Amino acid sequence: MLRHVTRKAAGWLLMIVVATNATYFLASWFLDPRANFRELRPVRTEEQIDRALAPYHLDPRVPLVHRWWEWLTSVVRHFDWGSSPTGVAVNDEIGHRALVSAELVVIATVLSVLLGVALGVYTASRQYGWADRLSQVVSVLVLNIPTSVAALAVVSVAIWLNQHAGLHFLYVAGENSPNVEGLLPTIGDRLLHLILPTLTLTLMGYVGHHLTQRSLLLDTLHADYVRTARATGLTRARAIRRHALRTALIPTATSVAFSIPALFTGAVITETIFGWNGMGRYFLQTIAKNDVHGTVATAAFAAALTAVGAILADIATVFLDPRVRVS
Amino acid sequence: MATTPETDAPAHRLSRLYLRRFLRNRLAVTGVALLVLLVLFSVCGGLLTPYTYADTDFTALTRPPDATHWFGTNQGGNDVYASAVHGLRRSLVIAVSVSALTVVVAAVIGTGAAYLGGRIERMTLAVLHFLLVVPSFLILALVSHRLAGDWRVLIVVLTVFGWMSTARVIWSVSTSLRERDYVRAAEFMGVSAPRIVRRHLIPNLGSLLIVHLTLGVVATVLSETALSFLGFGVQTPDVSLGTMLADGAGTVTSAPWLFAFPAGLVVLLTVSMTLIGDGLRDALDPTSVTGAAGGRR
Amino acid sequence: MTRTTTLPHPAPRPAATTPVLSVRDLRISFPSEAGTVEAVRGVSFDLLPGRTLGIVGESGSGKSATAMGVMGLLPPTADVTGQVLLNGRDLVGLDDKALSAVRGADLGMIFQDPLSALTPIFSVGRQLSDALRVHQSLTKRAAWDRAVELLDLVGIPDPRGRARAFPHEFSGGMRQRVVIALAIANRPSVLIADEPTTALDVTVQAQILDVLRVARRETGAALVLITHDLGVVAGHADDIAVMYAGRTVERAGVAELFDRPVMPYTAGLLAAVPTVDGGERRPLVPIGGEPPALVDPPPGCAFADRCRVAADACRTTDPALRDIPGHGQAACLRAGEIADGTLDPAGPAPDGTPGPVTGPAAPGEVVLRVEDLVKTFPVTRGGVLKRRVGTVHAVNGVSFELRAGETLGLVGESGSGKTTTLLEILRLKRPEGGRIEIAGTEVAGAGAEVQKLRREVQIVLQDPLGALDPRLPVHHLLAEPLQAVGADRAAVRARVPELLRLVGLDPAVSDRFPAALSGGQRQRVGIARALATEPKLLVLDEPLSALDVSVQAGVINLLARLRRELSLATLVVAHDLGVVRHLADRVAVMYLGQLVETGPTEALFADPRHPYTRALLSAVPVPDPVRERARERLVLAGEQPGATRPPEGCVFVDRCPLYRHAGAELRRRCRTERPAPTAVDGAPGHRHACHAA
Repeated sequence: MLRHVTRKAAGWLLMIVVATNATYFLASWFLDPRANFRELRPVRTEEQIDRALAPYHLDPRVPLVHRWWEWLTSVVRHFDWGSSPTGVAVNDEIGHRALVSAELVVIATVLSVLLGVALGVYTASRQYGWADRLSQVVSVLVLNIPTSVAALAVVSVAIWLNQHAGLHFLYVAGENSPNVEGLLPTIGDRLLHLILPTLTLTLMGYVGHHLTQRSLLLDTLHADYVRTARATGLTRARAIRRHALRTALIPTATSVAFSIPALFTGAVITETIFGWNGMGRYFLQTIAKNDVHGTVATAAFAAALTAVGAILADIATVFLDPRVRVS
Repeated sequence: MATTPETDAPAHRLSRLYLRRFLRNRLAVTGVALLVLLVLFSVCGGLLTPYTYADTDFTALTRPPDATHWFGTNQGGNDVYASAVHGLRRSLVIAVSVSALTVVVAAVIGTGAAYLGGRIERMTLAVLHFLLVVPSFLILALVSHRLAGDWRVLIVVLTVFGWMSTARVIWSVSTSLRERDYVRAAEFMGVSAPRIVRRHLIPNLGSLLIVHLTLGVVATVLSETALSFLGFGVQTPDVSLGTMLADGAGTVTSAPWLFAFPAGLVVLLTVSMTLIGDGLRDALDPTSVTGAAGGRR
Repeated sequence: MTRTTTLPHPAPRPAATTPVLSVRDLRISFPSEAGTVEAVRGVSFDLLPGRTLGIVGESGSGKSATAMGVMGLLPPTADVTGQVLLNGRDLVGLDDKALSAVRGADLGMIFQDPLSALTPIFSVGRQLSDALRVHQSLTKRAAWDRAVELLDLVGIPDPRGRARAFPHEFSGGMRQRVVIALAIANRPSVLIADEPTTALDVTVQAQILDVLRVARRETGAALVLITHDLGVVAGHADDIAVMYAGRTVERAGVAELFDRPVMPYTAGLLAAVPTVDGGERRPLVPIGGEPPALVDPPPGCAFADRCRVAADACRTTDPALRDIPGHGQAACLRAGEIADGTLDPAGPAPDGTPGPVTGPAAPGEVVLRVEDLVKTFPVTRGGVLKRRVGTVHAVNGVSFELRAGETLGLVGESGSGKTTTLLEILRLKRPEGGRIEIAGTEVAGAGAEVQKLRREVQIVLQDPLGALDPRLPVHHLLAEPLQAVGADRAAVRARVPELLRLVGLDPAVSDRFPAALSGGQRQRVGIARALATEPKLLVLDEPLSALDVSVQAGVINLLARLRRELSLATLVVAHDLGVVRHLADRVAVMYLGQLVETGPTEALFADPRHPYTRALLSAVPVPDPVRERARERLVLAGEQPGATRPPEGCVFVDRCPLYRHAGAELRRRCRTERPAPTAVDGAPGHRHACHAA
């Protein structure tokens, strides 16, 4: 069992390494760090610009492979993800932001899995009931709404609620308020700020889990072994809970890993709309500033999130499916 | 009666059966009606207004909808109605082309992997799974940042990063098709490989491709709006629904019409395509209960 | 252990005991798009304690729906009326909670497909102890111990160790034993077995039927045995109910029913079933037509359209089940006449009764010659980087020849390599080992030659629905092989109706889609397609296993006629020995990739020499209670092992009853020396590969 998980984890680690390095080359081809200096006055020559970039291993005159090797060794040896073209260390920028984004993505993933699976199970066992039909309509509609539209709809509703219902805890901008002192107030403040962005991301994420869990469970509901279980004297509800549900959850565990990249995309948009200083916005800024190292660090972060999700999913699979343990 | 039917007659009747089943689905028909209206709007809507999306009316900045500017104007005095017509057309063209290209690429890769099998199949699947879990949106943003501006480039970029999930479905269906008894029977009868593909594989994959074509439009509209919203997609002065959403996002409370009209159009477009896609999926399913033409005697 | 047993005789009918299970006028209908399907239209029966009631019927007769109705396991959309009295208590209309107190405790059920009947993610021990703990308050420990006992009872070797194994680690037969253990766990008073052996090989079927008998003896339960196989009920049931189109059409004790069926349908069924034993091979008499649709069933007797003795009244009045003096009950207006012998249910003999099934075929030229054929498959492990960890010897040195106008039946259980042999011949490529010669040409895999050979060899596949592209109408399906050999449109147009008539179909079906045809019609289309290019060799892969008995007989007769008329060489692969007996001139028995016995059909069936052939034949139930219960049966122990590492000597050595009693020298030979085919004295062409026979 441990071997199984370790082997899977090694595979995901390899995925992170390949994805991050591929992003490095793509970023080096598609981003031009010199652009940051061309607008500056007094006008610098190309040579001057290249020289300015050299200390950060961004000098275009150095062969790409050499630059890559420098970057790679510094990442591996010192966990130093390099600097922006203007010399700001990437590590200093991402520490805080990674936490902010991870908070958002992890909470939203957990909530959307819980909500989606619960809804899927509930509606599958009451197929064609009114709750099933209603949630089906809602989910299909949500599936068709762009994240930006959903986020702004959430913002509008929150503002309306704040104005008309006299609520004051729905924050539509930023990840915390200035001038909050003390540990508990800080945590409380952050949590309040989390509500709306998390709500938006959860809304975007739960739909897939709802629809797939529903059809997975519907498939297993009619399986022969559920009938056998009922023949031994279990009621329909108990037979479903004990025999069908657990089998139907196994593929869901795997699909959680595949849902994280989409959720990260949602996070980029959500952070933009809610004015959060997370990795998503950082990514947009680094691209705008032609910051190769910053971009690569964001990609590595996203890959790491996916891998963590995938490894957790593998562990969940082992617990759900005892066959993995024996083979 | 019928002794020697015309060679094309049964196929003709089969498509009539599909049509009948599709038309019986009220939601799908609603989807088609909606889509037709949207296409008409994007093609002919411009004839109803003297403005174009590029015109600026400096006498009317950030005006709410009225008799002259039906959807109001934005901060720069652009007519929102004219922009919406143009933006919808731009988004539609992008979505339809990307979706079509994606299906072609996915079909080639998916059936190719299934047909060739062995090591090539395993490698293709490994790459495919890798691309599925890698945050491709980041790479998409990275690549289109440099190349975008031109919507044609956007089409290429979206295709390159959008074929994986469709390819996986096509791969798995083609592998199971190859194992079908009637395909094996045709092989045993000495029917040539291209003929098997034409006679048995394509028709049986065809419905899948059509369904993915419509659902691909939805996915592309969502990707395009997301990219354009973040400034990586269509660039000013060109207008798409995504850029309009980005423009309107800042003034949701002060000038809601700037956001509401493009948002409404996007949702109408995606919902109509989803309804059509679901309807097609049901209508083209040969295992469907109503599938038996004629029924048992 | 190999046992030689005989079956017990039917229990004498006890005088006036109260039935444990009594079904009264059960009616079940389902809504469907085409209308309401009346799956069960008034079924009544009584089950006395300790007795076995066999319910016989073809697919769609409503026998499974009846079982599910009794168990209360029908989908919620089903509409159920009537009474199901279990120990006097009516189960119809009880809610799920009340029913689940009964299910498993008083009613146990055994299902058809053991492969899907067990939850894949729980060990069998866990599933058994869960089933025990539903109705009994046992500690986990005690339940587990009891589960192990139950596994032992149903004959699972090493029950303590195997209790921890998961369903996928068991073979089909072993899984069915687990399902039986589940059903008897709480000592129910009634067991319902729905086609318990249909998915299993015939020697395993014999074992499972034995287990079922042991289970019944241990629990004292009464059994409802639902099956399409008349042989199984002949050997195991005390009373029989015959179902047709949702109704019980005849009910009688097993001896009376087989001795003198009074319902024409029962009589027709008995005349249509192919058997393995007993003197002359008689021609089979098919029942024409198909069962009626159960949406809007006809007003009169549902069988009237297929009945040879139907009167006008039969088409308007639906006869009720009524007592026939000295017999049982039947639902037939003319049952009285049939019972007192004044009417033959088979009707007046039709003109031109089918002649003898197989004439002594004039030996033609050799069409197919297979010499020492070998085929192996690698066993691999790992995902992206596959590595070979073993070899399956699927076909291991098989030789036979087949002449024009002759039919060779290749029989064996699943895993014996018979289908692989057939596919190797059809591949038309040079085999891995040995040689194949078709119509005088050695198969070598050269392009042009393959194209020429394709014309000569055609196949009919097992599942007629799967083998026909659902998107093509019959005309196009039949045109396909013709176009493949380059026929033009006019030729195709002329040939298609000709082919349809050849297989006994109306040319009007040519514009129908496969879904609109019945099972028998589809298989006829499959045969017509195979005959399109006028092949010399026709290969049939389980051509009848997807068809009902009453339809099967018609196809068997069709194949016999075609072979006579077209002087085809046919190679038939089948697991049903009765079918093979009626189709083949010669039979080859395969076990673990090797031929263990070959010979002329009658000689081999009358005097089997190889211990495996004997066991195989004795395992096939005979649809005659007297003979079935009188004959000695040889029940083989164990199951056919995988062919990954076949024994060095005789492949059958591990299960061989002769080996067990053999002397040391013979044992050594069996272990180390592969037996060569030996001719049987005085029986030309009959050969077996056994040291001990």
